[in-house]
This record gives sequence, C-alpha cells and structure tokens, in this order.
Amino acid sequence: MAIAISTDIGGTFTDLVAYDLDTGEIHQAKDYTDPADLSSGIGRCIDKSGLPLGEAPEFTHGSTVAINTAIERTGARTALLVTRGMRDVYEIGRSNRPEAYNLLFRKPVPLVSRELIFEVDERLSARGEVVRPLDEQSVRDAVAAAVNAGATAIAVGTLHSYANPAHEERIGDIVKEVAPQLFLTLSHRILREYREYERISTAAMNSYIGPRVSGYLDELQNVLKTRSFEGRTLIMQSNGGVMIPDIAREEPVMMMESGPVGGVVAAGSLAAEYGIAHAVAFDMGGTTAKAALLRDGAPDIAQGYYVGGFASGIPVRVPVVDVVEVGAGGGSIAHLDVAGALRIGPQSAGGRPGPVCYGWGGTKPTVTDANAVLGRLNPAHFLGGEMGLDVDAAEAAFDAEVGTSLGLSAEHAALAVINIAVNMMGLAVRSVSVERGVDPRDCALIAFGGAGPLHACAVAREVKIPRVIIPMLPGHFSALGMLLADIRHELVRTIYATADGVDADMLTAVAREMSDEVRGMLTTELIEERDQAVELFCDLRYRGQEFTLRTPCTADELRSTDDLEKVRKRFDDLHEIRFGHSSPASTVEIVNLRVVGIGRRERIRPKIGAQSGEVEVTTRRVVSGVGSHASGKDWNIYQREQLPVGYRVTGPAVIEEYASTLVIDEGDVAVIGPDGAIDITIDITGGFDKTGGKA
Amino acid sequence: MTTTAPRNGATDPVTVEVVRNTLAAIADEMALDLQQGSYNMMIYEVRDFCCALIDKRGRLLAQNVGGVSHFVADLGVVITDALERFGEDGFRPGDGYLMNHQRVAGQHLNNMVTYTPVIIDGELFGFAMTRAHWSDVGGMSTGFGARGAGVDAWLEGLQIDQLKLIDEGVYDEKALKIIADNIRFPDAALGDMRAQFAACRAAEQRLTELVRRYGVPEVQAAIEEVFDSTEARCRTVVAAMADGEYHAHSVMDHDFADLDVPVDIDVTVTVSGSDMTIDLTRCSEQRKGSINARTLAGAYVAYKALTTPMEPVNEGSFRALNVEINEGNFMMAKFPAPMASWSVALPTVVDTVITALADAQPELIPAAHFGTLGGSFAFFGQDPASGPFVAQGIEGGGWGGRPGEDGASASVSVCQGDVRNSPVEALELRFPVRVEKRALREDSGGAGKHRGGLGQLTEIRNLVEGSWRLSMAGRHICPPWGLWGGDTALPGGHALQRPGGDFEPVNGRVNAPADSVARIFTGGGGGWGSPLERPVSQVADDVRRGYVSAQTATDVYGVVLDESGAPDEAASARRRDELAAVSSSAVSSASASSAGAAAAASPAGASSAGASSAGAEGAGR
Repeated sequence: MAIAISTDIGGTFTDLVAYDLDTGEIHQAKDYTDPADLSSGIGRCIDKSGLPLGEAPEFTHGSTVAINTAIERTGARTALLVTRGMRDVYEIGRSNRPEAYNLLFRKPVPLVSRELIFEVDERLSARGEVVRPLDEQSVRDAVAAAVNAGATAIAVGTLHSYANPAHEERIGDIVKEVAPQLFLTLSHRILREYREYERISTAAMNSYIGPRVSGYLDELQNVLKTRSFEGRTLIMQSNGGVMIPDIAREEPVMMMESGPVGGVVAAGSLAAEYGIAHAVAFDMGGTTAKAALLRDGAPDIAQGYYVGGFASGIPVRVPVVDVVEVGAGGGSIAHLDVAGALRIGPQSAGGRPGPVCYGWGGTKPTVTDANAVLGRLNPAHFLGGEMGLDVDAAEAAFDAEVGTSLGLSAEHAALAVINIAVNMMGLAVRSVSVERGVDPRDCALIAFGGAGPLHACAVAREVKIPRVIIPMLPGHFSALGMLLADIRHELVRTIYATADGVDADMLTAVAREMSDEVRGMLTTELIEERDQAVELFCDLRYRGQEFTLRTPCTADELRSTDDLEKVRKRFDDLHEIRFGHSSPASTVEIVNLRVVGIGRRERIRPKIGAQSGEVEVTTRRVVSGVGSHASGKDWNIYQREQLPVGYRVTGPAVIEEYASTLVIDEGDVAVIGPDGAIDITIDITGGFDKTGGKA
Repeated sequence: MTTTAPRNGATDPVTVEVVRNTLAAIADEMALDLQQGSYNMMIYEVRDFCCALIDKRGRLLAQNVGGVSHFVADLGVVITDALERFGEDGFRPGDGYLMNHQRVAGQHLNNMVTYTPVIIDGELFGFAMTRAHWSDVGGMSTGFGARGAGVDAWLEGLQIDQLKLIDEGVYDEKALKIIADNIRFPDAALGDMRAQFAACRAAEQRLTELVRRYGVPEVQAAIEEVFDSTEARCRTVVAAMADGEYHAHSVMDHDFADLDVPVDIDVTVTVSGSDMTIDLTRCSEQRKGSINARTLAGAYVAYKALTTPMEPVNEGSFRALNVEINEGNFMMAKFPAPMASWSVALPTVVDTVITALADAQPELIPAAHFGTLGGSFAFFGQDPASGPFVAQGIEGGGWGGRPGEDGASASVSVCQGDVRNSPVEALELRFPVRVEKRALREDSGGAGKHRGGLGQLTEIRNLVEGSWRLSMAGRHICPPWGLWGGDTALPGGHALQRPGGDFEPVNGRVNAPADSVARIFTGGGGGWGSPLERPVSQVADDVRRGYVSAQTATDVYGVVLDESGAPDEAASARRRDELAAVSSSAVSSASASSAGAAAAASPAGASSAGASSAGAEGAGR
C-alpha cells in the first residue's frame, strides 16, 4: 500500500491527509494541536488514521513552529557579528515610521540585543575587493565574548558579502572551530543580495529560530521512526515548494510562511490541469481572507515580507508565495465606529470565543453570524451536524450592536455586513489581478478554506471574474496542497551591471555555478536528474530605478550582450504590462541573477467519491438582495456528496458539504466537473446591484 | 417578513463603506505604481511623494497612506487655483498638468505636482494627482534644492506654473525639451514624470469604474457621509480634552540666511467643545532665508496625530480644525520668498503644537523628538569613471520618552512617515563613497524615567572630489525638550574632516577633496519624567548596552555601578537623594506655576539649558 501522507499543524487542529498512490483514495484525520508538544498531534493523527506508516514512501509536513518561535520571541539567545563601524545597522533598521501620525509608533524590536552584537575588523568594497583584510583575532575575541554572554546561536552579516563571501566564510570556519556548539548562519548563504539591514535581519532570524526548529524536526523524525516510517520526509517552505529536513535544519527561515501556501499550491495544480492561464486562489478562514495570483498554475513569488506585519515587523528577505491578506474573515467583528459608520474588523472573535452563533460565549456579531442570520449556513448541519448554530443569539447580537442604531433589522444589518465584507475581499482580489496587469474577465477564481465558497461567487462578480471553481475538499485544501508541492530552491546573486555592458562570460559562469549548486541540492534530496528542472531569472530595471522586475531568461540568452537583448525586450513588455509605461531606449541594469531549482514529484489525482445518483433537494429560507429590495426566499439546498458528474445547479442555491458551504447567487450556474470540482459560471454581464450581489 | 427598509434620508451604509474603502485603495494603488516605476531614490527609497484624489471643488477625497506626512491634504489648493484660472469646463479627457510654482504650491521646487482631470460622461468629476520629489530642477544646487543667503525663487530652479503638458493625450514636445534642457538629470526626472502621470491615469480609470457603477449622485452623497463621519471621529477626540487655551514656544536656530536671528515658533491651541483652533500668528514673519513656505502642515500633522492617527486622510479630517495664520507669516510667505528649505521647521512646529496639549492628553503626548528633517546629506559631482552623480540620504534621530516607555532611537521625524535611510551597500554600489560608520549616539537621548531615544552618528568618506550639502535647521538654542521633569536631548548637526584635518562643523554646501569624511549626527529625543525615577536595573541595562555612559548614569540618573556593571543599590540610593535635593531647590519655582503651565514651560525652560550645551556640541561627539 503506497501512501503519500501530509500533515498540517494549525493553531487549533492538526490535519492529516493521505493519498493512496494505487487507488487514488483520500484519507483524512484531525486531532487537536498541543502548543507545548507540537509533534504529538501528528502522532495522534497517524494513529487515528490507522495508516501503515511503514509502507508510506513519503511524508510531507507543514508546521507553524518557525513563525511561532519568531512571533512569540521564544528563540535562541543569538549573537551577531558585523563589519567594524556597523554595530548598530541592525538596530537602526531603515528608520521609517509607516504609521506616520502615530505618536506611539513602535519600530521593529531586534531579535538580537545590542550587547550581543560585535564588530570584527574587515572591509570589502561594493565590487568585493578587500579594502581591509580580515583580522582573525578580532573574530576569535568576538566569538569568545558571544559565548561568554550566553549565546547559543550566532549570525554573521558583513558588508558586501553578496559580492565576495570569502570573509564571511572564513569567519564561519573560525566560529565552527572555536564554538562548534553555536547554531551558525552566514548571511550570504541565505541571501546573496545587497542591502545590509535586510540581509542581516534575515540571517539573524535564521539563527534565532534555528535551534528550536532543529529540535522540533528531531522530534518529528522520532515520531515517524517509532512508527516504522522509512520513506522520505519533506518539509513545506514559504516559496510553495518542499525540502528535506537536513536543508530545513540549516535554513529554517525558509519554512516560516508555509501555512497559507499549501492551498495556493493545490489551486495552482488545479489551474494547470484545467489549462487556466490566470487564476486567483482565494482562501477565507477565521480571521482573514487571502488572495494569490497564479500564472499558468505558478504562484507569483515575492522576494520578502515582514514577520509581524509591515509597520513594525521584522524583514525577512526570502522568496515567499505572494499572498495578499485582508482582515475580513469569518470571525471579523461588525461594529459601529464612534461616528456611527458600519465597519468590519480588524478585531476578530478568533477561535475563542468565536462567532456568537457557535455558542462559545461570543457576544459581538461576526461575518459568520451574518451568514447564519441570513440562512446561508445550515444551523442544524454545521460541520456535518457535529455542531449546531444558535441563530437567535446571532440575530440578537446584530440588533444590539448594529441594527438598532442604524434603524436596520437584524437581517438587513447582516446583509450589509456581508456586502461590505465582499467589497473588502474584492479589493484584495483586485490587488493581485487588476493591479498586476491581469484582466479579471480572463481569470478564474479558485476558492477554498472553510468560508471561501460562501462568498466566492459574490467576490468574483464584484471584480468581474466570470468563473469560480470550488475544488474537492475545500476545507482540507492546504494539507492536500502539500502533497502536490514540488521540491523547490531559489538562489539569488547580486550582479549589478548594465545589460549592454555586462561581462557575459562572467554572467554565464555565475549562472552555471548557481545551477550546479541547486542541482546539487536536488541530488542530495534524491531527485533523479530527469525530474530536475532549473529556471533562470534576471532582476532588471531601467538605470536610475530601484525596483526590479523578475524577468525569465534562458542560459543561452546570457551568452552574449546580443543574446541579452531578448531578455531586455521581455523586460520592456513586463514593465508596460505592470506599470503602463516602458522605456525601450533607456539603459537597462541587471541587478540580480536568480536560479530556481525544481524537483518534480509524482502528480497525484484524487479519486472522486462514488455518488449515489440520488440527489435530494431541500429548501431553506435565505435572505438576499440589497436595501429595500432585500427579502427572504426559499432556496434549493443540495448535499455535495450526492451530486454526480455533469449535474447542473442553477442559482440561487446552496451546496453543503462537511466543513464548507457554497452559496450560488441568482444567475450563476454550477456544474459538477469530471474531477468532482464545482465549476461555476458567474453572471457578470447583467445589471449589478450596488454591492456585487444580484438585486 | 421581518425585514425593514433602511432609514430614510441616509445613504445606504454599504455604499458609504464601499466608497470609503475604494477611494483609499485607489490612492494607495497610485502610490505603489509611482514608487515602483520611479527613477530616483527620493521617491522609491525615501518615499518623498504623495498621491491623491481631489473632487471638482478642490476637496480631498483620499490620499495614500505612508509616504511623507507633511504632504497631508496640501494638493487641494493647486486645484482651487487651476479652477479659478481654467474654469470647470477648461479640462479635456487625456489632459495632464505640471505644477511646482511657489505662488500657490508653496514648497521647494523639487516637489513637482502632476494632475489629470477625471471626466465621466462629459462631466468633470475630480482630479487624480501626485506630488513627487525630483532629484533636480536646475537652480544653484541639486538633490535637496538651493539653500543659504541671497537665494530667490529663480536661483532655486525651474518654475512651472499650471503648465498643460499633455493636451488630450499628446505631450507638448517643446515644453518637454525646455524642461529637459534646464535640469541636471533629465532622464531620471522625466522617467519620474512618466511614472507620476501613469499613476494618475490608473486612478482615473479606477475612479471612473467606481462612479459608473454607483452613479454620480450616489457616490457624491457617500463622499459627504465619509467626510461627515471622519469629522465626527475627530470631534469625539477633541471633545474629550478639557476646554482652554494651551500654549507652547520653541525656536529654530536660524533661517539659513540671518544666522544669528532665531525663527520663533509660538503656538496657542484653543479647545472649545469639539472645536480646536491652532493659532500660528505669533510665529516669525517671512524671512530672508529659505525657511519660508505656504503650508498648514505644521498644524495639520499635529491635529491628525492627536485625533485619528490610524485612519486614512480626507477632507473631513480637518473640517473641525481652524488654523489661524497670517499672510506674510514664514509659513504663509508671499512669492517670491525663497522656499528651498520649506519643510525644515515643520517637525518642530508639530512638536510645539503637540507639547502645548500635553496637559490635555497626558496619556498620549511624548517628550519632544529631534525635531529636524533628520540628518540629510547629499554628495554630488563628477565620477571620473561614470559621470555626474548625486548621492543622498536621510538619517533618523531620537524620539521623546513617552507615557509608559522609552522613545524610539534613530527614526525619521513626525513629518516623514515611511521615509527610509539609504542602505550602506546601495550607496556604495552606486556612488563613489564609503560609509565608515553608522551608529547610535551614546547619551544623545534625554534622561528620564522613560528615556528619550538616541540620535545617530554616520560617517561617509567621499572617494572622489565633489560637493557635500550638509545642512540642518539647527536646534541648538532650543534642543529637544523633556516633559514632566525629563531632560533635554543633544541636538544634531554636521561636520567635515578634510584629509589630514580635524572634524569641523559645517552647515551648507562645501567642496571636499577626495578622502574627506562627512559626519552626520542627529539629535535625540527628550526624556519623560524624572531620571531619578527610572528603575536602577534599567539604567544598568542602558549602560551595558551602550545607550547611556556610566558617567551619565551616576551624574544624571543617580545610579552607581560596580566594576562588573551591576548597580550598587545602596550607593545609588544615596546618590539619588543628593540629586533630588539639588533639583528640588532649582525647579521649585517652575513647578509652582500650575500643572497647566508645566508643559508649555518645558520648551521655553529647555532653551536656556540648551544654549550651554550648544557650544560643546561642535563636531558632534
């Protein structure tokens, strides 16, 4: 029995999804997450599922251990070694105050305290030439001082190490010799790109979370070993790929944002299968809604993000699936501000006390409560009947907190909340489509997460996306995505030259060196050569600009400046698409070379559950519309597991399944596809009402 | 059926919220487009720009979040002036205008405004606008603009007064040529200009989509409600302050021309119910030097910070505020007053307004921050290897201690928002300089129960000959003040070391041979509360981390440390008793002047203490 297994640790639950490579069958298990002993939930899930782990060739795992360590500040006592004169670069940061008017703004709190930051004598120029040779004694002194001060991890970030890593490498050798017990990160190993603060910050983060993540990976492998697992373990990364534990131990920072990524990868795989050129992955959960753009199934990749939010967060410059978030999730609280305007969020009722209708003590009406009040959720059949919904309590909360002051009934207030939430989510979807030069009318929206299907049709209409696809298992999509993710590594190297003046031989040599390095990593991960792929990108900009566009290229196109002309033209086109203007006569600069190594994994094709063929249609009163046009009507209610391939459902209707509910508006038509996904045509041509719903 | 129609006469709450969110999102999208498509670091790195939607009456619909805060709500006057000149019917779809003239715009000429009309079904609805800092507009200096004695508007650079550069989609090539021929870096500037207009065009489209979907009257009604509710939120905050007149006073060292005549900043804030008046009429009159401007930003930024700091800006944000300012005031100067340094006094103006209200909002107001636009520097010249260049940057300073915690170190001023410093590696990759040091300045933060943040000390070696522009509106006479018994902080400045010489103070443009070193040092923030109340262990931590010297710990905080750096509790207690005895006799008169006057007294009181430290400041150690 060959089974691929994935587990995804969330804040409340640990999810397991397993795929039988022979039969296509999918197994699931769920158990609680113990924050003090994260790997124990995995063991319980495995035991619960009864799957023979000893026969499984692969075990894929996504965990929040890295991000939690950073956010809870429970990482290692970390020291930092920097170039003489640069001790405070890390604490000073970029000095910006994104919350410009906030007199009490807090800047990012460094992970390394100033008394643990040490200068070493050395200096390179921007070209990597040695201005001042490395004084090894200054390194030995600094490492000794760090150890004395109780450091258990250390990061090294010297100026211009992206151009010439020799000094950092030598410092690393000395650290290994003098204090081999320290978890060590050399900044250029993680990020060979200019901008010292961001590089040092990323290296410091890697060391800070390193010891705890390593320990966790040891526990995980122990849990698997005691259950006779002998296959390959893979760890989910922020960039949408997976890696082996040995690499995760050295570069734990690569797994920080793996949480929201699994679903995006699964959506990408679906888009590729359907041949959809542009799709938006749309994920709505308890606290936020997330959107990511997929081009030919590949997610847009951002080159960094801020841990803890943009304003006061810590920059981490590693590739991450580019997800745009808005604070409108099922738990987002609807309230009136001091001026009496109806607002949603950013406060969330979270998992506890949760929405009012869950009956766990929540008193503030949420988006989920609005869905309950309007009849969009089945009060008797929530989570497959495992949980009832207290609709009366939700109605009372809307009256008390919102409706009475606005002169609206609870239902009208709830409807207003849904419509505002749809607009907010629409803005997020816009920002990954329209704002990136993609016409939404050529797009499809792939919706998942517990609450994604509830609002997907309205959000699509809001943004004028004509097609919505609800995959199988929308509530377990993230864990499923982990089974679909390829192994993926990205390397970057700052080059800094003009496209017409660059030394093409050097460029080709660097590209080859980087390709060899990434192929070496894939080979270590036991990826056969035929399953390895290497992609090249140049980060280009017009001279004088700062922001670059990641422009695809081939090794052949780097051979001469004449060949590079093709890449440059591609860049002009990308610039035109993204910004609406380009400058084909201007000089173009190459700033970075990027190499992506991909190790392809076997594609899995989940089998669709057998349908009974008997479709039982019930009805329920659902309120829809806007303002004085709003009214309650009996809608048809379907159970997803009963719907056979090719079955058509015309809106308005609701399709229910375990852990998710799909709302189909009037004018929209859903068809069950051959793979079990629900394919919905959205009516974007007809008259809109004011909010994107049909009047 | 339990549903009822919404209340009569009110706009649908959904439409209001959609309009509010969408207008703000459009302005933010413009900002992203402009920033990422721009060609000079003042835009992409320093974020010295703003983007806005303005209605056809010149009212602010939305402005981007982040960027430079002293641009708040300052684009409407350009449109009001344009409407007077061209009339509502004077605009055609596809038109594009350029404007930097100080007669109306009132800022340094580098701040170039672009705007395009938004015309929907033949009717003017409003305008999409940007203002962005061009790295050069000609004139006698580059980078940050001209400064110093004898400067007028023409020496400052190219003046463009409501120029229709794009006529129904077609650029005026002759005008473009005149601009390109009269500025130092035309490729960069015109690249920036294209990015500015592209941002306007994108916004036109988005705004048109919104209005088409909901209808002109519905959107206009929703906009009025957004304004009303924004105003109401501000009023709620002001209504909670005690009615009364609040006063504070501070000074800038000079105006860049008359170096021995300080610039007065004298502010009276009147709170009456939910109304606030900020009276600036007793500030200095228009000056010979370039410190002049036409701006309400000093009052606006302060009011915004006091009322709704985390909300997007629109016309309603300032409707409940009355600003009294006279024509001929240095912040409401008449053309052709020199304005190259138009914004340098603003952080101090904002701080003075905020300090005046320390009694009214004690839980919010921090001690003074460093109060200048940071440690700005520009180095320009000809690189034998790569041609003309201008390297620029802005270093942050310290913020004042605040209720509950220490002030932040090395942060930009209250007027600069998302402005960032220049990475060492970025400077060295592009320009012939080497940054030798970027450090926090020990002891630069004012002592206090909650210590002021530290300023910065940066040293940059120029590897080729060139000109440094190192100029700062001084705060030596009135260094960043403390609050509630906290100490003043050290002010900032500049110095230059020529090969073989010592560091010497500079303020202005200086030629420097290769291998000179410029030192840029910024002020700290004032202390909050008496330093004698700072927990001994925190002072010991400060010393161990190098924020405070052992000397200051003993002399000012009354904390005595042993050789290992651990505090000697008994000796510290004795030392604190001594210091308390000395200070109680010294300040008894000040504390007698009622709680209400305490805050207002701080800046003035600080000025005498500051004067003595100014001389010692010299080259900024």
